[in-house]
Amino acid sequence: MTPGERRTGSIFPRFGLAEDVDRELRDHLELRAEELEQQGWDPAAAREEARRLFGDKEEVARACRAIVTSHQRAVRRGRTMEAIIQDLRYAVRTLLKSPGFALLALVTLALGIGANTAVFSVVNGVLLRPLPYEESQDLVWIQEINNRGGTMSVAWPNYEDWRAQSTSFAGLAAVNDFTATVLGGDEPLRADGALVGEDYWKLFPTRPVQGRLTVAADHQVGAPPVVVVSRSFWLNQLGGRPLDTQRLEILGVQVQVVGVVPDGAGYPAGSQIWTPAEPQNGSDSRTAHNWNVVGRLAPGVSLARARQEIDGITKRVTELPDEDPDFLATGASTVPLVDEIVGDLRRPLYLLMGAAVLVLLVACTNLASTLLARGTARSRELAVRASLGAERARITRHLLTESLLLAMLGGAGGVGLAYLVVLSIRRSAPAFLPRLGEVALSPVVLGFTASAAVFTAVLFGLVPALRLTRIEAGEALRSGSRGNAMDGRSRVWRLLVGTEVALALVLLVGSGLLVRSFRALLEEDLGFQAADVEVMPVYLSNGKYPEPDDHRRFYDDLLRRVASIPGVGAVGFLGSVPLQGGLPNGRLELDGDLDKQAIGGYVVASGGAFEALDIPVLQGRVFDERDGPDDEMVAVVSQSFADEFWPGEDAVGKSVNGGGMDNFYSVRGETFARVIGVVGDIRHRDVGREPYPTVYFPYTQRPFRIQYSANLVVEAAAGDPAALVPALRDAIQAADPDVPVRLNSLAEAVRTSVGERRFLMFVMGGFSVLALVLATVGIFGVVSYSVGRRTREIGIRVALGAAPESVRGMVIRAAMNMVVGGLLVGVVAALALTRAMRSLLYAISPTDPVALVGAVLALSAAALLASWLPARASTRVDPMVTMRAE
Amino acid sequence: MAEPSLELLKGTLDVLILKTLSQGAMHGYGISRSIRETTREAFRVEEGALYPALRRLEKRGLVEAEWSVTDTGREARVYDLTPAGTAELSAELRSWHRYVEAMGRVLGAASGS
Repeated sequence: MTPGERRTGSIFPRFGLAEDVDRELRDHLELRAEELEQQGWDPAAAREEARRLFGDKEEVARACRAIVTSHQRAVRRGRTMEAIIQDLRYAVRTLLKSPGFALLALVTLALGIGANTAVFSVVNGVLLRPLPYEESQDLVWIQEINNRGGTMSVAWPNYEDWRAQSTSFAGLAAVNDFTATVLGGDEPLRADGALVGEDYWKLFPTRPVQGRLTVAADHQVGAPPVVVVSRSFWLNQLGGRPLDTQRLEILGVQVQVVGVVPDGAGYPAGSQIWTPAEPQNGSDSRTAHNWNVVGRLAPGVSLARARQEIDGITKRVTELPDEDPDFLATGASTVPLVDEIVGDLRRPLYLLMGAAVLVLLVACTNLASTLLARGTARSRELAVRASLGAERARITRHLLTESLLLAMLGGAGGVGLAYLVVLSIRRSAPAFLPRLGEVALSPVVLGFTASAAVFTAVLFGLVPALRLTRIEAGEALRSGSRGNAMDGRSRVWRLLVGTEVALALVLLVGSGLLVRSFRALLEEDLGFQAADVEVMPVYLSNGKYPEPDDHRRFYDDLLRRVASIPGVGAVGFLGSVPLQGGLPNGRLELDGDLDKQAIGGYVVASGGAFEALDIPVLQGRVFDERDGPDDEMVAVVSQSFADEFWPGEDAVGKSVNGGGMDNFYSVRGETFARVIGVVGDIRHRDVGREPYPTVYFPYTQRPFRIQYSANLVVEAAAGDPAALVPALRDAIQAADPDVPVRLNSLAEAVRTSVGERRFLMFVMGGFSVLALVLATVGIFGVVSYSVGRRTREIGIRVALGAAPESVRGMVIRAAMNMVVGGLLVGVVAALALTRAMRSLLYAISPTDPVALVGAVLALSAAALLASWLPARASTRVDPMVTMRAE
Repeated sequence: MAEPSLELLKGTLDVLILKTLSQGAMHGYGISRSIRETTREAFRVEEGALYPALRRLEKRGLVEAEWSVTDTGREARVYDLTPAGTAELSAELRSWHRYVEAMGRVLGAASGS
């Protein structure tokens, strides 16, 4: 190669080649030697001197070559960049030439990628991210196992034995969250807090910003009560004042504030105050299950070993006591703390993630078929370029660049959509979603989005690109843009359309099941009327109301005040309100016999509560002024309680005792109450759970049960119950200005209790509608394209006298031919996949025929529409026009 | 000649090359000889050091090179300044003059008193 040749044909700056280096250095040495010879040196000595003056020739050559190599590399990089920019420019031009397609593709991709990004940000925040605690993988949640195999809270003596006997833990701490009235701050308020065991701060290492954490001495029974508060509580409620002056009244006890910890410290999330549990422990019974226990595994200890050890200790210690074996633990369960926090959300969230991926796959399939159709139309252009010498790889790269550009732009749009979704989720703060603060478009999520976009581009771009570049250049040029699209590549079309249909069908069946299940749930009779009822939780300070009778007198007074408010239809008292935080239950005794035991719900109430909630009185009567504290003890039972324990008998006149539920409060002797009435069953625990056999006692006769939890239920005589709120507020303030006022509507509680199912249904429904639309558009596109390619054939048929109906029928039949296969595959896939949804469905089988048939019909109708439109258009064209167009 | 040679300051070679090329395109050996003659061999530098310096300048886009036939009929790799090289040279010259002037003021004042 001569130096001259090297210059031609390159638009890039010339730069040194490695072989030039040696030649140049050799020349230098020769010229230098010549110069020396001219000065009179002997030739051999001159060459020697020239070398000496030059220095280490090999070293110089090496240095030069290194520079040349890096120069070449830089130039190559520049060339690649230039090529990429060229490809991008070409792709942008191509897309701008058909803005309709570009827009459709972008919207499709933005929706598909956006859906995935949004769902993944929730999955990542709630399920995948480690809990915000040091070494959070070592934190575990321990519960006892009852004799029915379910889990229950922990009895204090068992907890103490675990602490004393286990070796698997760096720490074990009781943690009971509570909501309590706190007095002594700037205003009376309800604060979320936790009663915590001695090891608590060892489990959740925290550096106090003020003062100290609680230490062993604070955790002794009889120690002066102290509390640690969160930073925002300290600033907002205590004005950030020095701690030694701060005393609060919590749960009726005067406590000293000893420390301030950063917000977000500790468990449960959102706690504002922490106070030692040990002085609060009320029971040394192994059947009083009142505590939650969190542990931290010792270094190197496996979860399995810890689980086995705790289970073993529990079995051992519960063999000893002389207590009712029905209520003793039969073992213990140890699970990662994150499982407790995330609860049952894993399955629904993964279901949504799967659904989002299916939507994206539908979008990909849709775009692949559109690109292929467009590409086939462009095959002439591609063939021309190929015949002009463009390599297949180069053309493939062009087509892929186009796909990548679309995917990246679509991904950017998707991130925008996902941002809006995340914002609205965080703003609406659905009650069923824990760790909401961690749901965000974090770098991990954005990385996921970027990979999804690239994956998408490859998926929808590569198949058409490979397919199109396989066309023999000569063949495409000869046949021009004619030809029958439905034969040569019909298998590809069938595959693409079929895939789209099958995926959409699976989604439709899934969301159909959820809709059916949700309707079944809403049709359940709750047993009470929620629409016109306000619930008012009332919390009294036990410091100000030390005796149970003080509480009773307060509520007697409050009920009278509220009843006199104009517009109030009925008002009553309930110890625990339906659908709000569970139903107390436990051992009861029947028929005046302490050995005749039953398990049931236990609710204290006033007679007005049944009226306010429209719970029907089926027999006898409910409580009234005849049932005062000194009158005969009475009770009301639910229908299912009467049926279960006195089948075929008249429940009215029987007797029932509070049993284990009352013993805890050490009441006077036996307290058998005469049953005076039977009321209708209500779904107290959850809309989706069967009514639980329940006994109601009048609050007047069991005032010790209302010291911690009490609610007024107020029914509006007419109109919106929210209109009563100001008057209710005034009534409470008049009765005691220190009582914090909170009101919520029972209808809202009903909505909240089905919130998770509603959310799942709507998101899944949204995804399946999206998939249905995409599939319809996809089918429409493919059929339009094939009709467009067959205008000549159709024109001839019409010219030869074929009826338009028969031509339309031909087009639609060909289209449905592609759809039917997809439907069949989709039905099989749906039957296989929806089985995973069993636990998410209420009263509906995963193979529910209505959902299945409904989905098939909806999709078939959409497919018919999508093929009928182009079919109709095809027969509207003047045959002469189409034939002349050739 | 009798004076001992000076160590070449770092980066100085680049300026010398650029300055030399500002008189016209030249091949490597020519540049070497020209520097030797104009500095009257004041600097002690191995002649080979010129070539990596040239390649570096080429990579930075300050000089460009092509193989061509010289006046003596030899084929040689001939270097020339690019516009960027010309600009770089005048910038370097300005800072050299400032440097020399400042040093001269200090040293001149010291020896003058």
